[in-house]
Amino acid sequence: MLQYLLKRLLIFLPTLLVISLLAFGLSKMAPGDPVEQRNRDMGGGLQRELRDADRVYRETSEYLGLDKPVFYLSLSSAAYPDTLYRIFKRDERENLVKLIQQYGNWEAISNYYHAIRKADQGTEQLLGKTEAVRAVRPLIKQLYLAYKDERISSLLDKAASQTAGDSTLQATIGTSVAQLQETYSQLKAQASPGRLYIPDIKWYGFDNQYHNWITDFLTLDFGESFIDSRPVADKMGDALRWTLTMNLLAIFIAYLLSVPIGVFSAVWKDSTFDRVTTLLLFVLYSLPNFWIATMLVVFFTTPEYGMDWFPSLGLGDLPPEAPFWQRFVEAGTHLVLPVFCLAYGALAFISRQVRGGMLNVIRQDYIRTAWAKGLNAQPVIWKHAFSNALFPIITMFASIFPAVFAGSVVIEVIFNIPGMGKLTVDAIFQRDWPVVYTVLMLAAILTMTGILVADILYAMADPRVSYGKDKN
Amino acid sequence: MLIGVRKEQELADHLSQQQAPPQSYWSIVRQQFRKNRMAVWSLRVLYVLGFIALFADFIANEKPIYAKLDEESHFPVLRSYAVGLGLDSWEARFFQNSWHEHEYDYVIWAPIPYSAQTMDRNNRNYVAPGDEQDVPSTRFRHWLGTDQLGRDVAAGMIAGTRTAMLVGIVAMSIAALIGIFLGALAGYFGDERFSISRIRLVLNGLGVFLAYFYGFQARSFALSEGTFGWEIFKSLVLIIAIMSLVNLLAVWLKGKGVWSQPITIPLDLGVMRLIEVVNSIPGLLLILSIVAIIEEQSVFYIMAIIGLIGWTGIARFIRAELLRVRNLEYIEAAQALGYSEWRIIARHAIPNALTPVLITIAFGVASAILMEAFLSFLGIGVAAEEVTWGSLLNLARSKFSAWWLAIFPGLAIFATVTVFNLLGEGLTDALDPRRKQ
Repeated sequence: MLQYLLKRLLIFLPTLLVISLLAFGLSKMAPGDPVEQRNRDMGGGLQRELRDADRVYRETSEYLGLDKPVFYLSLSSAAYPDTLYRIFKRDERENLVKLIQQYGNWEAISNYYHAIRKADQGTEQLLGKTEAVRAVRPLIKQLYLAYKDERISSLLDKAASQTAGDSTLQATIGTSVAQLQETYSQLKAQASPGRLYIPDIKWYGFDNQYHNWITDFLTLDFGESFIDSRPVADKMGDALRWTLTMNLLAIFIAYLLSVPIGVFSAVWKDSTFDRVTTLLLFVLYSLPNFWIATMLVVFFTTPEYGMDWFPSLGLGDLPPEAPFWQRFVEAGTHLVLPVFCLAYGALAFISRQVRGGMLNVIRQDYIRTAWAKGLNAQPVIWKHAFSNALFPIITMFASIFPAVFAGSVVIEVIFNIPGMGKLTVDAIFQRDWPVVYTVLMLAAILTMTGILVADILYAMADPRVSYGKDKN
Repeated sequence: MLIGVRKEQELADHLSQQQAPPQSYWSIVRQQFRKNRMAVWSLRVLYVLGFIALFADFIANEKPIYAKLDEESHFPVLRSYAVGLGLDSWEARFFQNSWHEHEYDYVIWAPIPYSAQTMDRNNRNYVAPGDEQDVPSTRFRHWLGTDQLGRDVAAGMIAGTRTAMLVGIVAMSIAALIGIFLGALAGYFGDERFSISRIRLVLNGLGVFLAYFYGFQARSFALSEGTFGWEIFKSLVLIIAIMSLVNLLAVWLKGKGVWSQPITIPLDLGVMRLIEVVNSIPGLLLILSIVAIIEEQSVFYIMAIIGLIGWTGIARFIRAELLRVRNLEYIEAAQALGYSEWRIIARHAIPNALTPVLITIAFGVASAILMEAFLSFLGIGVAAEEVTWGSLLNLARSKFSAWWLAIFPGLAIFATVTVFNLLGEGLTDALDPRRKQ
């Protein structure tokens, strides 16, 4: 058993590795630059000077840990430099990558990039002086994001003719624009696309973004939200309170009703009660919960149809100072519909499982023996049959574990309840990766733990189940 | 969904223990299935849904099916297919006036004379089914009402049927391909039977690396800038070329010293671990995060992702079946005849193991349809102009008084999901060996 447990725990590792790589890879492929986003959200970055803006950008990306290499190693071609990650700005870096993919000559591309920066700094010192500067500066800025030959050439030509037409410009940035043109023609002349076809694996060492995140995660430091800088653990703690309340209530109600329903419909199989409940439960099970939730919101929380019986979405807006009892009632009335939506699906599911489990047991010989020796219905049903029909209920723990944690995304979004599901969906749409990573990883861990716990409980409940030997 | 998972687990476990092959399998299954009236009826409903999905353009379309205009006969619906393929183009007058405004000599409209995207300017702002409607005749009534833009809800439902069916079928086809392939490998070869020579293993590893590098990494500029379909085709050709070259090399080098020693690969173990990994991925959250980062929204991504996650049940089934089948005498006979392993798997083993997979597919289609409806309900994953059941249902949240937007699309989702669940139940019962007396 212990050996089995260890083996199962070892399987956790590759699974977690895969999920962490998936989550991390997704965040790196996602469009948008978290650093820019954060700077924008913090209210800055409107019209800063270049050097200042660069400094702020670098500080933010250092703060977020995004100035490190992405992963331990990278597979690329010999044309790429191993210091590319030091170009902080994501869009500039991606543009340089596109240039490399065309020309394969990093030295020339690097010279060209530095020439752009020099010209950019040159125009900045002249900023606001003349009309001509105002015309030239956007051209230079656009060069950072231009990678197609025609586009770069036309930008360069325009910049050159603008500079030539203005004497002050010619005096100050004339040389840098000329240098720009020169480096660009060099870049094209010295193109070596052949180097793109030589594979090259680069090793970046352990100080990389993935390593830092995963070691922090393993020491239970989930990081801070990109959006509001609150620790992820705090945010999740707040959300978990609501999710747990809702789900535990729903599961409790569901079990309370479904065990008797399942048992009785199995005992009196093919009776009217059985037929009606089976049909009803099947319908309940097939009803999509987001439809039911929408219908409930449409019909019972609005005065449109004269059935405005429940408060509207959310959790009410009583201040935290309000008396506990008042807040309790407020939250309670807001939770009725969501809990109902969560409960009916679980109810249908669990009752069907209980019924199925009971049916399997009830045709066994020992139950017939129990009836035959004249036992009362109560002990036969509950002691002999039900205790042996427990397995499906046990295995259901596996699916309930992660469900409680991740919350019901659907219900929380529709009823606007600030639980885990809503937190996750919001984080995904705001690209708040620390939150997304943590939720994905914890949900996976809980799923696996749930399955493992179910297996162990199964073995404890049924001595015939043994994990010692290999089984198919 | 969960019932599906449990049922298939039970059956998979059962099948792996079962020894003797049942006799005249199909006829028993069909006979058992026919006894289940609900399942038979749901099959009939499914035919109707399939018909609607297939002929959606002829059922709800703003273009007439047949029109006689200035003594000329037109088949605009049929012609729109040719236009869509770029083989034909509309005359100017069809651009200038909307289809409903022409003076036809004779015309046959589709049963619902609106397309899902048609905006009826006269019936904007949520016209209820029972309301007074500003339409030329009852023929043009919006029987299920309209939304804010004046789009016909009935037409949207027809278009939604097509999307839902497409999602269910394509997603499950992807899942079935992956699941059958991996499940067959695991079940047929088990942990001991698959061995390849050392040189081949090494060369294939190298080949995968090179294929990835030259197929994607080195061509990433062409892939991102050129016509995607054509460039990906070139990449695929390159990958296939590299892999076959490597394997040819392996055949040539075979039998040269230590490199030819066989290595046994525990395929079953590998596939089962993979299934465990995929099963612990929180699917909905993963789909949400993938869809959220895709800039160009299309329902095809959703299909692909659902398929890539949803193959595990099918793989378990096929594996369990092949564990049984591979010990049967006819497989031994085929081996004795000297057929290659791949031929035995593809032509003899898999066809005998496919029936129970239908159960998983039926439940899988239901959950794929639910998933797509939920995603489009949240407004993600499908292009904004596309009308689906989920997006229609979502409109109800912005206008509470529009009850028809809440009821009809939801009813369609419910009915479709129920049909597939009933089918799955019926198949499970029909295939359940315990009831086969």
